[in-house]
Amino acid sequence: MKLVLAAFALVAGATPAMAQWLDRPWAGIPRTADGKPNVAAPAPRTPDGKPDLTGIWNGPNPEARLDPANEKPWIRDLVRQRQQEYHRGRPSFQCRPSGPEADEFGGWKRILQTPAAIVILNEEQTYRVIHMDGRALEAEPAPSWMGYSVGRWEGETLVVESNGFSDKTWLSRYGQGHTEALRMTERYRRTAFGHLQIEVTYTDPDAYVKPWGFTANMTLAPDTEMLENICERSSDHWAGSLTDAAGRSVTVPPDVLAKYVGVYRGFYTPARPRTVEVSLSGGQLVARVIGSASVDGGEMRPLVPQSQTLFEGLGLGYEFIVDDTGTATALVEVHISGPYRYERQR
Amino acid sequence: MRLLLTALILVSGAAAASAQWLDRSWPGIPRTADGKPNLAAPAPRTPDGKPDLSGVWNGPVPRPPYDAANAHPWVNDLVQRHHRDYFRARPSFLCRPSGPEADRSAGWKRILQTPAVMAILNDNLTHRVIHLDGRALEADPAPSWMGYSVGRWEGDTLVVESNGYNDKTWLSADGRAHTEALRVTERYRRTDFGHLQIEVTFTDPAAYVKPWGVTANLTLAADTEMLEAVCERSSEHWVGNVSDADKSAVTVAPDVLARYAGIYSGFWLNTKRVVDVSLSGGQLIAKVLVGGTIAGDESRPLVPQSQTLFDGLGLGYRFIVDDAGVATDVEEIHISGAWRLSRQR
Repeated sequence: MKLVLAAFALVAGATPAMAQWLDRPWAGIPRTADGKPNVAAPAPRTPDGKPDLTGIWNGPNPEARLDPANEKPWIRDLVRQRQQEYHRGRPSFQCRPSGPEADEFGGWKRILQTPAAIVILNEEQTYRVIHMDGRALEAEPAPSWMGYSVGRWEGETLVVESNGFSDKTWLSRYGQGHTEALRMTERYRRTAFGHLQIEVTYTDPDAYVKPWGFTANMTLAPDTEMLENICERSSDHWAGSLTDAAGRSVTVPPDVLAKYVGVYRGFYTPARPRTVEVSLSGGQLVARVIGSASVDGGEMRPLVPQSQTLFEGLGLGYEFIVDDTGTATALVEVHISGPYRYERQR
Repeated sequence: MRLLLTALILVSGAAAASAQWLDRSWPGIPRTADGKPNLAAPAPRTPDGKPDLSGVWNGPVPRPPYDAANAHPWVNDLVQRHHRDYFRARPSFLCRPSGPEADRSAGWKRILQTPAVMAILNDNLTHRVIHLDGRALEADPAPSWMGYSVGRWEGDTLVVESNGYNDKTWLSADGRAHTEALRVTERYRRTDFGHLQIEVTFTDPAAYVKPWGVTANLTLAADTEMLEAVCERSSEHWVGNVSDADKSAVTVAPDVLARYAGIYSGFWLNTKRVVDVSLSGGQLIAKVLVGGTIAGDESRPLVPQSQTLFDGLGLGYRFIVDDAGVATDVEEIHISGAWRLSRQR
């Protein structure tokens, strides 16, 4: 299998490493009658009456969807170029800090809160410091990976403003760039003992027409510990690009391609239902992946033939399983985490 | 210039990046009559009466002298191999966490202390968590880069015990290894408002005969902020080793070498540096007397690559000579550039 590793697949590959090994009851937390942590209990408060965000939190990667209409042309070009390179320049794939990237609002983190500072510790060892001593943002901070953050309380909501980001980081795994003028606003609300909601807004007028963002929902991870999850394999050595794939491509007759056109359905990882619509457009097969979550309405992957049945679709492999007549009965999507089989529906 | 990048340089390259840009007055700290932070004031305390170690700290990196007699043979072998490879596998040179390495006990850090947990944030975007809630160490922790730490107060001293380290980290810049059975004991004492002393002891019977350690002396970095110093250039692509340098060696006549022997001094970055070049057994040896990474013990055999250019364990040494062939200066060639040291005698 000469297919190149997909950025997308690597994300899934990292997931098992986050599994927790520790079963350690936390002292002094509210519990239900059966002894389980009462995640619906009221949020705790600090001695000075503010909500206390302290704890170990975990949550799914939030969805920062592509919205080409809101992106300046240079961002659209950058997204295309990064897709062309299988997203290998993504900071986390290079073992660099993710900074303000949306995915950094998912996964494991520990929050510590003191009156003067709140610290967010990430499982991959990076951290953020949010100054709570009333200072203003720096007017001209030195650009950094994690940015410079100040917070204030608006009632029960912690409002955090950040600037000073270098332009090396991405805003999403799809490669949306930003300038050093990026401002990030976060609104943290611990709605119950077990739930933390974070509304994130990116403002960067040179890159995006309007501010945009997403909401992350984190759940308290009580009675356990957060483990470190260190990046040790940089994507530096990844090879190939979409252009390379095109260079290796073979020619498959249109009548063969036509036998693959259809709708395929199955699961990508046990939890995520996925539908792939394969269509023929201008003599080329195109896969529209519904459930991959990158774009509303489906992610388009042009399929470049590497053999009669094997295609490369932006770093993922697509192998059609055919019957005696050459008609596809199933589609196997090949990720670094393994092959996922989707049965043909029509 | 075919000379190789050296460990030594990268360390100092990172030091420059941690220069501070912020001049920010801290509110509510004790000050002297002239308005400067009063570092000699008593250490602050938390509401429950414990010393409060919170703050931004900085201090010189302790460089423990190498004690080969206290290391088991496999550790000595490994140290020699790392030396030959210009220390390129050092975790921090690979942009990996330094874990328990002695260098990490100093440098820039921010400490945030809460009743249940203390966090130590390092400027290279790594962190440690020290549990203060009275729990015991895990009996069989998953090996990790930063280890698993619990702390308790013995009077005004915070005693931190750590285990659960993987064996990928080093204990010192010169490549001293450890096993997964490593135990680290730290004793933190904030002796006054502006000073924090950390005594570190490494215990690892399969690697070292007796426990050994270092003491880090940190000073409060008041009225400023800690900035990130993120590793972006891994040493993975470094090539060559000491044997390669030997293979490309040329022969230089002893009377030529003798004209280079002397004491040279100058600056490397903004650090004063004094190098003693001597002739020993027909070979030039450069000993870094001041400003080196390994205190008192940084000897670099100089392998001639031409009449005037030598390889000294990854650093280049180019002698500048007068008409008589007598050295007047030496250029020490780092990745950060050539640093000229003038001959003193």
